[in-house]
Amino acid sequence: MKFPTRLLAANMVFAILLWVGFLLLVGAITAGIAVFGQVSGSVWDPASQLARFYALFTGVALAREYLPMYIAHGQTRRQFGAQAAVTITLFAPFLSVLITLGYLLENVLHGVAGWPQGISRDHLFGSTSEIGLIFAEYAIEFLVWTVAGALMGAGFYRWEGGGVVTIPVGIAMVLVSSGALGTDLRIPFLFLTMLNRLRLDLQESLPLGLAVGLGTFAVGLALAWAIIRDVPLRNRPR
Amino acid sequence: MRVEVRDLVLRYGETTALDGVTLSLEPNKIHGLLGRNGSGKTSLLSVLAAFRRQSAGEVRIGGEPVFENTAVTSRISLIRDEGETVDLGTVDDALFFAEWLRPDWDAKFASELLERFALTRKMSVKAMSKGQRSAFGVIIGLAGRAPLTMFDESHLGMDVPSRQAFYDVLLADYMARPRTIILSSHLIEEVSPLLEKVVIIDAGRVVVQEETQALLARGTAITGAAASVDAFTEGLTVLDSRHLGGTKSVLVYGALDEERRRRAEAAGLELGPVAMEDLFVHLTGGPR
Repeated sequence: MKFPTRLLAANMVFAILLWVGFLLLVGAITAGIAVFGQVSGSVWDPASQLARFYALFTGVALAREYLPMYIAHGQTRRQFGAQAAVTITLFAPFLSVLITLGYLLENVLHGVAGWPQGISRDHLFGSTSEIGLIFAEYAIEFLVWTVAGALMGAGFYRWEGGGVVTIPVGIAMVLVSSGALGTDLRIPFLFLTMLNRLRLDLQESLPLGLAVGLGTFAVGLALAWAIIRDVPLRNRPR
Repeated sequence: MRVEVRDLVLRYGETTALDGVTLSLEPNKIHGLLGRNGSGKTSLLSVLAAFRRQSAGEVRIGGEPVFENTAVTSRISLIRDEGETVDLGTVDDALFFAEWLRPDWDAKFASELLERFALTRKMSVKAMSKGQRSAFGVIIGLAGRAPLTMFDESHLGMDVPSRQAFYDVLLADYMARPRTIILSSHLIEEVSPLLEKVVIIDAGRVVVQEETQALLARGTAITGAAASVDAFTEGLTVLDSRHLGGTKSVLVYGALDEERRRRAEAAGLELGPVAMEDLFVHLTGGPR
């Protein structure tokens, strides 16, 4: 199998550009808080929730943009499936490295400015200096969110409106993994906030998070493959 | 690459798009695939390119089945108006992947074509005009240099000069590097000079599959004095007729043998070729 060099490169370069922009934005917000109020903890921590949605949409784009492109360029669905799996497997930890770097840079900034660096959300880690745990938590989280996006993207590509049936499956995957990691959802849509109550209260730990995360990832990949293995490319309605 | 299709059926739910299509396309020729809207052209090309799996029947390209067969699909290119190969950020982004995924990609040729069609690498594909987007699709198809290259009405969005440029480039490149090309188009008169063989499908079935010249020989335009033309064409299948004063011009379907041609000459009638479009209209059942 060809290694998905360009698929990875395209997504990584785009992620770096977004990360730089996001870093500047969070820096500006922190500065704003410092000027008009008091910095009471990490700003990067709540802001980094948005990265999950970026991971989700990366998965969606894999199915909706890259799958048709691969097939139209004479690749098989099997080749795409394998390359997409490798891409997600490597992209999720890469994205996690960027988020972890964000915590590190913020640690330095807050240290210099004398601001506290507390975290406001539930995590597998207890402080922003636990780099290994930060990386592990986000890597698992992004792995699951990206594959959930790919599953939903594949569902909507194949069945159009009928793809809505994949949404509960994607949400279930995210809930299970967040339960194992001890993170919460805090999805910024009113009706979805109730999902927090559905959260699975597992005894979170790194081994459990890793096992559940990888298991969920494998299930997501298998389901997405079942959808795309013979998916026809859409004709535009005429 | 030789294309062999036998008893091909493709259904979309209750609708049968291809209904027992059987055809054989010789390698290294330019084939025209003609048909009315909804006749099954896009469906046929989609199956040939493994964009979708057939419901029944057999498709072999280069002697091998196509669907999910990398050895075959990597040598096939189908460019459609849907834009699967181009809808990806900028021109550079799409070329980045085309170069990587297409085994026969010719980057130098792609650059030449970009210049010829006045496209730049930084252009956003989503912001392109319909004509520019079509031209870019055509560039991807040509520079891919796939042994089986198919264009499904992908040049229709281009204006007349751009289409002419496309035909010129296609022909020149085909002459330099012969390969199997299938052109599906509504612009029959425009593409017919390029075609060596023609397949006409209608309602999911093959109506005609033959050499372009043989197809054109099926029709004749007969012009002369109205009375002489009427007498001569009695019993023949008349596709169309026009009057201008005492002169009449009639298009007939069916080859004229030598005896008839001598009779026409003796009657002072002029015999001429028929446009492929007129034959197409007749063969696909006239206006609907």
